[in-house]
Amino acid sequence: MALLEVKNITKRFGGLYAVRSLSLEVDPGQIVALIGPNGAGKTTAFNVISGYYRADEGNVYFNQREITNLRPDQICSLGLVRTFQVVRPFQGISVLDNVMVGAYARTFDSKIAREKALEVLKFLDMHKIADQMASGLPIASRKRLEIARALATDPQMILLDETMAGLRPTETEEVIAMVRKLSERGIAILLVEHVMKVVMSLAEKVLVLHHGELIAQGTPAEVVRNQQVIEAYLGEADVAG
Amino acid sequence: MTTVTSSRELPMYNRVVRRLFGSWDQTQLTFSFGLVLLMAISPLIIRSPYYIGVIILASLYAFIGISWNIVAGFTGQLLIAHIIFLGLGGYTTIVLLNNFGISPWFGILMGGVIAAIAGGIVALITLRYGLKLDYFALFTIALLVAMRTLFLKWEFVGGAVGMYLRLETPSVAKMIFASKLPYLYISLILLAAGVIIQYLIYRSKMGKYFIAIREDEAAAAALGVNTTLYKTLAVMIGTALAGVGGGFYVIYVTYIDPTGIYNLGVNAEIVMASPIIGGLGSLIGPLLGALVNKPIAEIIRANLAEARSGITLIVYGLFLIASIMFMPRGLAGLIHNVYDRLRTPTHQEEL
Amino acid sequence: MSPEIFFQTLINGLFTGGIYALVSIGLTLIYGVMVIVNFAHGEFLTLGIYIAYWAFTLLGLDPYLSIPVAIILVGLLGAMIQRGLVQQVLDAHPLNQIILLVGVSTLLMGLMQFFFGAEPKTMHVSYETEVIKLFGLRMAIPRLIAFLASMFVSVGLYGFLKYTRLGKAIRAVSQSRQAAKLVGVNVNYIYMLTFAIGTAITAVAGVLLSPNHRMIPTMGQTYSVIAFVVVVLGTMGNFMGAFLGGLIIGVVEAYAGFYLGGDVKIIASMMIFILILLFKPSGLFGRQGT
Repeated sequence: MALLEVKNITKRFGGLYAVRSLSLEVDPGQIVALIGPNGAGKTTAFNVISGYYRADEGNVYFNQREITNLRPDQICSLGLVRTFQVVRPFQGISVLDNVMVGAYARTFDSKIAREKALEVLKFLDMHKIADQMASGLPIASRKRLEIARALATDPQMILLDETMAGLRPTETEEVIAMVRKLSERGIAILLVEHVMKVVMSLAEKVLVLHHGELIAQGTPAEVVRNQQVIEAYLGEADVAG
Repeated sequence: MTTVTSSRELPMYNRVVRRLFGSWDQTQLTFSFGLVLLMAISPLIIRSPYYIGVIILASLYAFIGISWNIVAGFTGQLLIAHIIFLGLGGYTTIVLLNNFGISPWFGILMGGVIAAIAGGIVALITLRYGLKLDYFALFTIALLVAMRTLFLKWEFVGGAVGMYLRLETPSVAKMIFASKLPYLYISLILLAAGVIIQYLIYRSKMGKYFIAIREDEAAAAALGVNTTLYKTLAVMIGTALAGVGGGFYVIYVTYIDPTGIYNLGVNAEIVMASPIIGGLGSLIGPLLGALVNKPIAEIIRANLAEARSGITLIVYGLFLIASIMFMPRGLAGLIHNVYDRLRTPTHQEEL
Repeated sequence: MSPEIFFQTLINGLFTGGIYALVSIGLTLIYGVMVIVNFAHGEFLTLGIYIAYWAFTLLGLDPYLSIPVAIILVGLLGAMIQRGLVQQVLDAHPLNQIILLVGVSTLLMGLMQFFFGAEPKTMHVSYETEVIKLFGLRMAIPRLIAFLASMFVSVGLYGFLKYTRLGKAIRAVSQSRQAAKLVGVNVNYIYMLTFAIGTAITAVAGVLLSPNHRMIPTMGQTYSVIAFVVVVLGTMGNFMGAFLGGLIIGVVEAYAGFYLGGDVKIIASMMIFILILLFKPSGLFGRQGT
């Protein structure tokens, strides 16, 4: 039984279809990648799934429960959490406090939240910077913080939005390792990515979006050889190796 | 910096110091109580009722500053015209006393209740209609002007003349005292309560959620924060405290009128100045700010003839401008820097 | 309501509306370019009126001759305030911007109270009671002049924005700071200039109000609030919206004043304000644009 089921969601902006009749499934513990040229509608899809945009048509189910058009915080409490393409740390407070906000999703108790936050930070090898102000962190750390916060909400599935953007190769390796660790904890992951290397090394299933529509899906190897996909990307200057 | 030696290994003195000053939050709480204590024993040194009066107002401004700090400082809500709720609390208290003979001990609390309800309504309206940032600020200003106009015309609350406390023989039940000291202690009790409430909120889930909303509402929502609920809570708590503060204010200054209370200049002085100077969003900010700005304002006011008025406005204007330009984290921010420097590894063994 | 009173009230409303339009154009211009609500805006009107008062009582200068004086003095002050203070908070949290401007507002009110005193003052010019009768309607000369002048200035500013190079630069910045920078516009200079123009225009409105008008240092607050109403009504940043909005609010107030009484007529504007904020915060003209 699929953990996340998206059925025919459509999102329009004025006359423009950002996402059109998109359907997809993610099984528990699976890592699925959503790729496509710029403007394909990937982040829009995320926004609809996670409750930031209203779907014009279609339904989203999580754990067989309808979550279409629920509020983002309600969706989070059901076990589906998202990160943002441009990271959004809580600047004025420490790394630990940032993660505690996530941990409070499951408890009212400050002690428990703090322990959970420390556990998450330790798991992601970030405990050394626990007391640093989030505003002073370099970009790679902020991305890790974004993931740490999401992890602290005890999710069954995380939507990762272009986590690798702007990272150097070594940093990318670290984040890939981090994503694998999440998967080892049994968390399903749907990630939007541009960096093909990441997609190839992480994803079990790849979905290709183009002009808001799904044009291909399959294993990474299959998708990369798909004619339509190649054509869609040839319009793009960047198809990173 | 988070490596910790077991407390039981440290001598008693170190344990106490860690307890009181172990973190910046705790340090602020300790200092806050220290300041309240100082104000409580000040009558031993200060005899003049005038100066006691300055302390009373400073502590009240601190309390009201705390109420605004929770809404604007912690949660980042641009509730500019906070004084509306102070006014509501004040009017409630004095109406209950004058018209119904109800003791201010109860009336002040009722003032808080009425203000909280009003705050809840304002919060829900603005949230329902999605009024953000500037629009929210302007909405509160419009409400202020509307309130002033309504109260000017409303005979039941005295209209333009306002309401005066009937000065009778001193009575505890009516909260009328001959000396200033009882007022001082009531004010300090309110302040202490405010300090504690503020601290508890800050350390709790609610406080973290308030701050998350301030920093980034969309990110907070993604992490499970019901932003509508918590914004409403923040406003209601802040306005409740403001209402209580307003109730005590009217009992102490013995009168209230629409132009005097529903007034942005007074708002700047009573509500905004202290937290901003002290450090909006910090714990000790409102208290520190009040203890700095009220005495300074009084000294200036006393030394320059009131005929050439406007000095108070000039001073408060400069305070606000200087705070934003040079000390955005306020006095508390400066002290925090000092505190952090004292806590760097070379001093770790002291703690 | 007889047709005579109807039209008389209409005329009175338009005359007041002209002033409101002028003040609001200044506010919306500043917002359109810098995306900042000038919470101290009304104080610049007060500055204008006191400048007229000062010039009149000290130099015997007819208020209308004070207009260039007001423009220069207030324009310079506005430029300094922008450059020195506002510029630093352009990207700061809105709360900080508001507090800074509230501080400026408080300071300006304090300064005016310090130099001119808190007691109300009035300036009496020789022609203040003169009335002209047009189409059977009575128009006080100073109010008529104020209206015509505000129309003139509004149209002039519109032309400036539309046809001159500087005006186009201003409009460019209001549409996109980045794009304007890319085509070589000195954005910081435009910010300073816009703030100077916005405040100077408001001061002109103050000068136009001065004949026989009761002046107190805090009078600007009311005009600030009305300008907020107009600007939101006419869509923040929209010149035409501020212009028409000003006239509309002036007229609405005039009728409200007739039915409800002079001291509560502001409640009509407040009601409109609250309704707009709740139901159409983007204003009559929908989206932003100068």
